[in-house]
Amino acid sequence: MSVVVENLTAAYRPGRPVLREVGLQVDTGEWLGLLGPNGAGKSTLLKAIAGLVSHNGAVAFDGVDSASLPARVRARMVAFVPQEPTMPPGMTVTEYVLLGRTPHLSYLGSETPRDLAAARSALELLDLRGLAGRDVAGLSGGERRRTALARGLAQEAGILLLDEPTGALDIGQGQNALEMIGSVRRERPVTMITAMHDLALAGQFPDRLLLLADGRTVAEGPASAVLTVDYIRDFYQAAVEIVEVNGGVAVVPLRQGTR
Amino acid sequence: MRIKHLLLLVVLLAFGAACGSQAEEIAPAETVPAETAPATAQSAPPTTAAEVSTTEVSTTEVSTTGVSTTAAEGEDPEFPATVNGVVIPEKPTAIVSMSPTATEVLFAIGAGGQVIAVDAASDYPPEAPVTDLSGFQPNLEAVASYRPDLVVISWDPGEVEAGLGALGIPVLIQTPAQSIEDAYLQMLQLGDAAGRRTEAEELVSSIREEIEGLVGEYGAPGSGLTYYHEVDDTLFSAASNTFIGSVYALFGLENIADSADPLGSGYPQLSAEYILETDPHLIFFGCALWCGTTAENIAERPGWSTLRAVAGGALVEVDDDLSSRWGPRLIEFVRLVGEALAARPPAGEQ
Amino acid sequence: MTTGPPSGLEAVRLRWGWMGAALGLLAASALAGIVIGPAGLDPRQVIGELVGGGQTSLSETHRAILWEIRLPRVVLGGLVGGLLSLAGASYQGIFRNPLADPYLLGVAAGGGLGATAVIALIPSADPRLLPLAAFAGALAAVVLTYAVGRSMGGRSAVSLILAGVAVAAFFTALQTFLLQRNADTIRQVYSWILGQLSTTGWGEVAILVPYAAVCGTALVLHRRLLDVMSVGDEEADSLGVSSARVRGAVVVFATLATAAAVSVSGLIAFVGLVVPHTVRLVVGVSYRSLVPISAVTGAAFLILADLAARTAASPAELPIGVVTAFIGAPFFMAVLRTTRRYVA
Repeated sequence: MSVVVENLTAAYRPGRPVLREVGLQVDTGEWLGLLGPNGAGKSTLLKAIAGLVSHNGAVAFDGVDSASLPARVRARMVAFVPQEPTMPPGMTVTEYVLLGRTPHLSYLGSETPRDLAAARSALELLDLRGLAGRDVAGLSGGERRRTALARGLAQEAGILLLDEPTGALDIGQGQNALEMIGSVRRERPVTMITAMHDLALAGQFPDRLLLLADGRTVAEGPASAVLTVDYIRDFYQAAVEIVEVNGGVAVVPLRQGTR
Repeated sequence: MRIKHLLLLVVLLAFGAACGSQAEEIAPAETVPAETAPATAQSAPPTTAAEVSTTEVSTTEVSTTGVSTTAAEGEDPEFPATVNGVVIPEKPTAIVSMSPTATEVLFAIGAGGQVIAVDAASDYPPEAPVTDLSGFQPNLEAVASYRPDLVVISWDPGEVEAGLGALGIPVLIQTPAQSIEDAYLQMLQLGDAAGRRTEAEELVSSIREEIEGLVGEYGAPGSGLTYYHEVDDTLFSAASNTFIGSVYALFGLENIADSADPLGSGYPQLSAEYILETDPHLIFFGCALWCGTTAENIAERPGWSTLRAVAGGALVEVDDDLSSRWGPRLIEFVRLVGEALAARPPAGEQ
Repeated sequence: MTTGPPSGLEAVRLRWGWMGAALGLLAASALAGIVIGPAGLDPRQVIGELVGGGQTSLSETHRAILWEIRLPRVVLGGLVGGLLSLAGASYQGIFRNPLADPYLLGVAAGGGLGATAVIALIPSADPRLLPLAAFAGALAAVVLTYAVGRSMGGRSAVSLILAGVAVAAFFTALQTFLLQRNADTIRQVYSWILGQLSTTGWGEVAILVPYAAVCGTALVLHRRLLDVMSVGDEEADSLGVSSARVRGAVVVFATLATAAAVSVSGLIAFVGLVVPHTVRLVVGVSYRSLVPISAVTGAAFLILADLAARTAASPAELPIGVVTAFIGAPFFMAVLRTTRRYVA
């Protein structure tokens, strides 16, 4: 399922736009990484695509205008996993993941075995079967990430929007999370847009990157074209060295003062 | 403001004096108490009525010369008086009564002319100088603006006694009487406070006499009968240790509320089941005015049609004011109970 | 297939084991409420009367006590308790605030104001208007509480509760003002405010049944959506649920349930707070189980509380609100101690 965004402008307060005329295109099965310093508008862009933020400009899925879709239909096309998902204490992992089936149920309906199967398969894909009956309040940071992702997968949407999937994870957990996401993509033909802050990982996992700064697109293309010393100096105010790894690039920050 | 009050006072006093003289004319015809059936309070203090008019004339003269000065100063040996712990320096001429009962008593003992204002609920006797003062939520400033030399209240929500006391105004608190004797005691207190001890004694003894007569007339059928006095339509009742209960006790009636009041609060809320099972001989309801209770809607209450009092027509309305005031009109309350007893068939038949 | 704790569909369905236990408790409470009372009715005769439909040796008086006083009172207690608990559980879910109870949000004060306005300003009004007036006032109070709470910063527990306190105080002040202006109706209004299950017959049951049927059905049907709402408005929206619409619907039905209960029984404290909390401790946080089981348990609880109100000081009555607060308050403190994590 493809995503096309044109001229997208969004503001939480009048006259203070968070996104200015952003445009992007992601093909079916492609993984786009959204980069940008804090406050660049990454999360807002994801929410606007998911229809959670009011905006001007067009968002289309497979050529269908998103604004014309009922919320439930849209939610069957787009799954959004927020940076810090709310996990109600006392809920089990299965109960939580089953919430992802909501757009497939009628307003007052309830789950069928088909929905349970979808949730089970999501749990399996993310290696969460052993945690199925656990209280979400007792999960570790990495387990919470996977559980939230499982809810997104259970939604069985063609487009997966992930906000900072490695946020608050240590280096191992972060790497593991992105490997999981990569493996999901091998299993299912899912289009992904992920907002990312870790530039060491961002240069290796997504197919393509888009750099946002102050609500505008400033660079777009393969990792080697976006993660350059100049861009990072200009928009992150950071001095870095670019290292080529695994067919991608990794950004290494350099100390400026004398030792 | 002051002038307006004075004018009002003069008008009211003139009115009171006129009523007094009327009472004087009526009084000789009614010197034998409780003969005429539809009794009113005018028949209550027959012997004092004559004195009412004469003394009121004298107070009128005193008042018109100025509210705050007292001609009686030094002349009345009864003052300063100490009533129920309250010191009243001189004979009051500007009483504010915040208690409907006290208002009735003051007028009955001929002290009506000394009363300059009564609270909004004091609707009896008609000549009482009704104001919009609230007895439930007394406003100190409003009370003080009448420049009273005595204030009577039936309850103090907290600061009336202290607040008015600080202004040098004596406050007599007469909480609801617990019995008829209690009511007499309060009448005598008011007599002392208003400088009308003799009239108060005469009032009390005339009420006593009249009640004795009524009990003698109706008393016998009461023994062995049970009754339920309904204070309001949520089945609150009055036990025997209340003023209301003491009236029924005169006739030897047995109160079904007593067993529901082990702590002696006086006003237990009865269970409907209990009333139905006890099946009292008589039901008195004292909330016709406020609750809109009628004999008909009592009969319509779920299950109540099985009661013998309902079937036998022994549902008696007690005027809200009669049962909630412990003043001279208690005679009417007593008479009502006596007549209800006389009206019902003999005990064996129900 | 499934191992250990519930991980299949049974996890998100009504937990029938607990529902059965709650229904058993309700049946036992109802039976106790019918058999025990200030009037000494022989339990065997009572049961015979109920089973045989009136062909027993009960006296006419006892029959009247059973059919016209005791039975409607038990049914009314069940309906009121059920509605209050249902509303309490729904409010807690929809506001994502375990301390939300029907009265905390000003519903009671609003309902009281509505009823007072009718009694004081339209003395000739049909008594059946009362529930509607109470409902209007209650809804106004909740909407105001919600709006004020939002303007103070979202739907956090603190801002919502503060808003509820403020709105309740405001509505209570209006009510007191109306009462002061119409002193002759004070008694009638207070008997309504302090009202209880004691002077009621089938008439009030008849008033309540339609509200109970509509609100009960609607809220029980919304229980899955309450689970969805527990992840927050934005995430619920991302799942294709209109959180605003769900909240609107649940608030309307829960308010209607509370207002209907309050309008026939007066203010009965703690039921809407304590019952859902206790049920949550036992059956878990999912509203699929919490909503219906709270309703049944609340019905049983109020029937038992009313039994205590009728018999503890027999033949005198205790106000049922006193009984529920007396049991509820300490119990609630104990519950809070053990469930601090849900409140945080």
